[in-house]
Amino acid sequence: MADPYLRVENLVKQFGPFTALGGVDLAVYPGEVHALLGDNGAGKSTLIKTLAGVHQPTSGQIYIEGKPVSFRSPRDASAAGIGTVYQDLALNQLMSITRNFFMGRELKGPLGTLRMDEMNQIAHDEMLKIGIDFSDPTQAVGTMSGGQRQTLAIARAIYFGAKVLILDEPTSALGQKQQMGVLKTVKRVKARGDIAIIFITHNEIHSRLIGDRYTFLALGKVIGAGTSDQIGPEEMRRLMAGGAEMGDLEKELANV
Amino acid sequence: MADRSESDRLQKESRFKQLIRRPEMGAFVVMVVIIISLLIASDSKAFNALGLKNNIKIIAQYGIIATGAAMLMIAGEFDLSIGSMIGFAGMSMALMLKWGLPFGLGEATPFLAFIITLAMTLTIGWVIGTIVVRSGLSSFIVTLAFLFFLRGTTEVAFRLINQSTQVSGLPDYKETSWFANLLGGEVFGWFYDLWFKIGQWMTAGTEFPARLPVETINYLALLNINRRLDQWVTGFDARFLWWIVISIAAWFVLSRTQLGNWIYATGDDKEAARANGVPVNRVKVGLFMFTAFCATMFAACQVFDTNTSDAAKGNLMELFAIAIAVVGGTLMTGGFGSVVGVVFGAVTVGLVANAVFFIPAIDGAWFRVFLGAILLAAVFANERIRKRITGGI
Repeated sequence: MADPYLRVENLVKQFGPFTALGGVDLAVYPGEVHALLGDNGAGKSTLIKTLAGVHQPTSGQIYIEGKPVSFRSPRDASAAGIGTVYQDLALNQLMSITRNFFMGRELKGPLGTLRMDEMNQIAHDEMLKIGIDFSDPTQAVGTMSGGQRQTLAIARAIYFGAKVLILDEPTSALGQKQQMGVLKTVKRVKARGDIAIIFITHNEIHSRLIGDRYTFLALGKVIGAGTSDQIGPEEMRRLMAGGAEMGDLEKELANV
Repeated sequence: MADRSESDRLQKESRFKQLIRRPEMGAFVVMVVIIISLLIASDSKAFNALGLKNNIKIIAQYGIIATGAAMLMIAGEFDLSIGSMIGFAGMSMALMLKWGLPFGLGEATPFLAFIITLAMTLTIGWVIGTIVVRSGLSSFIVTLAFLFFLRGTTEVAFRLINQSTQVSGLPDYKETSWFANLLGGEVFGWFYDLWFKIGQWMTAGTEFPARLPVETINYLALLNINRRLDQWVTGFDARFLWWIVISIAAWFVLSRTQLGNWIYATGDDKEAARANGVPVNRVKVGLFMFTAFCATMFAACQVFDTNTSDAAKGNLMELFAIAIAVVGGTLMTGGFGSVVGVVFGAVTVGLVANAVFFIPAIDGAWFRVFLGAILLAAVFANERIRKRITGGI
C-alpha cells in the first residue's frame, strides 16, 4: 500500500465548551475514494472545514505526504493541494462556464487582459476529461443542471492542483440520474490514480458504489473505519445509524 | 459522452437571435424610438448643429456618472452620494480657485484645485467603501448618510469661506490653462468644420455640384448645415470626450480584464467569489472610489465650463445615475450589466431631459413621468433576463 497523501492524527476541535471533534484519525490515499459517513451533527462538516483551512484545530496534527502542516487560511490548504467542493459549489450563476472556471485565478495577458480563447479551451478540455462535453463555454452556469455544475466545480479544483479532493455531499439535492452522473465523474477522477477523494455522503448505496475505504463519525468521534472488504452491508448500516442496531431502532419506532 | 445529451438541450441560436436577446437590446430599441420621435416632434431642431451640442452636453454628463453607478451596481452595491459628491467637488474647486489653497498655501491653479479635490473625493469614496465592507451594512443606508453629510458640508463650507452659497465671476481659466481647457473647453471641432463645409458645398452657389432641390436645401438649413460663414458652433463640450474615455475604459475593464471578472463575481455571489480567492472587499472599495472619481469629473467639467459653482449642484444626480444604469440593463441585484447598455440609457434619458428645450409646447415635468415609466419597464425587463439566465424561464 502506498503512503497516504493526507493523514490526520487525533484531531480535536472545540468551539468554546462544545467539542465538535474529539480526536479523529483519518488517512486518505491517492487513487482511492474515502467515504466519510455520519449523521447530521456527527462532525463531518467541522472535519472537512478543518482540513480546508477554514477552522484551525484545537489540537492534533495534519500531515501531507508525511510532513506535518498547519493551515492558517483556506489559501494555505489549497496551496498544499487540498481542493474542497462545498455543497454550494462556489459558482456564480450569471457568469459563463469559463469565467466561473477561472474565477479569482484568471489567465492574464498584458494590462490584466483575459486570455479568453485559451481559457475557453482549457475549461472545455478539463470538463471533457471527467465527462462533460460542452460545445459552448460562454454558456451561463445558471443554465446548467446540478450534476453539470458539480462537474464544473470538480474539474476546476483538479485543474488548480487539488491532490485531495473533498466533496461535500455532492449527490444530495440531485435527481437519481444526475446522482449517477456525479458518481461517474468521481470514478473518472479516481481512475487518474493520483488524486485522493474524500466523499461525504448520507447515502449508503452511493458509498457502496464508489467507496474504497470508509470512516464513520458519530458525535465527533470515529466509531468505525475500514476498507470496503472489511465492512459488510449490515455493519455499514449499523455504523451509519451512529452505532445503534437497526433492530433497536425498529423497536424504538414501534414503541412511539 | 455521458452528459452530452443534456448540454445539447441548450439550443444554439442564430446570430440574429443572439443579438436581439442581448441585455442591451431593450435600451437600444427605446433609444432609437426616442431619437426618431424627437426628430419628428422638434422639426429636426433637436439635431441641428446647436441642438446636437446641447443634447450631447446633457447626455455626456449623465453618462459619466451613470457609468460609475453601473460598475458599482454590477458589483452589488449602490451609491446615493454621487449627487452630493458632485456638489462637494464643485465647491472644493470653486472655493480654491477663488480664495486660494487651504492653509494659505497661495494661489490655486486649475490643475492644483482639481488634484487636491480629487484626492479628497477619492478618500471619501474609500471611506464610504470601507465602512460598507467592514460593517456589512447596506450601502443604501451608508451612502444615504453621505448624501446628507456631503451636501451639508458643501453648504457650510460655502457660507463659512465665501459668505454665499455660490461662486460666480471666476476668470475664464480656459483661456489661460490647458488643463482647464481640457475639462471645460471644446473638443471635436473638426466635426462641425466638416459639417458646415459639407453644407456650404451642397447648397452654396449654382456651380458644381448642381444645386439641390429647394426642399432638400430647406431641410438642410434646418440642420444648419450651410452656416459655414457664420458658424457659431465650434465644437462639443469637453465632457463628451471624457464620457467616451470613461465609457471605453469601463467597457474594456469589465469585459476584457481580470478585474472585470472580479467585478461580476463580486456582484453575483460574493461568498462564491471570496471562496475562489477574489478580493471582494478591495473590488468594492475600488468601485466606490470610481463613482467618486466620476462625480469629480462631472463637477470639474461643469466648473471649468461655466466658471461658477453653487451648493445645489448635482442635486438628484445619484438617482438619475442609478435610473440610467437600470434602463441600460444593469441588474439591481448585481452581477450583470453592460457599459454599452449604459451608453444607450444615457442617450435616451439625456434626450428626453432636454426635449423641452426643442419642443416648447410640452411641459418639462413630462420628463420625470417618462423616466418613471421607462424605469419600471426596465426593471421588469431586467428581471426577465435574470430569470432566463438562471433558468427561471
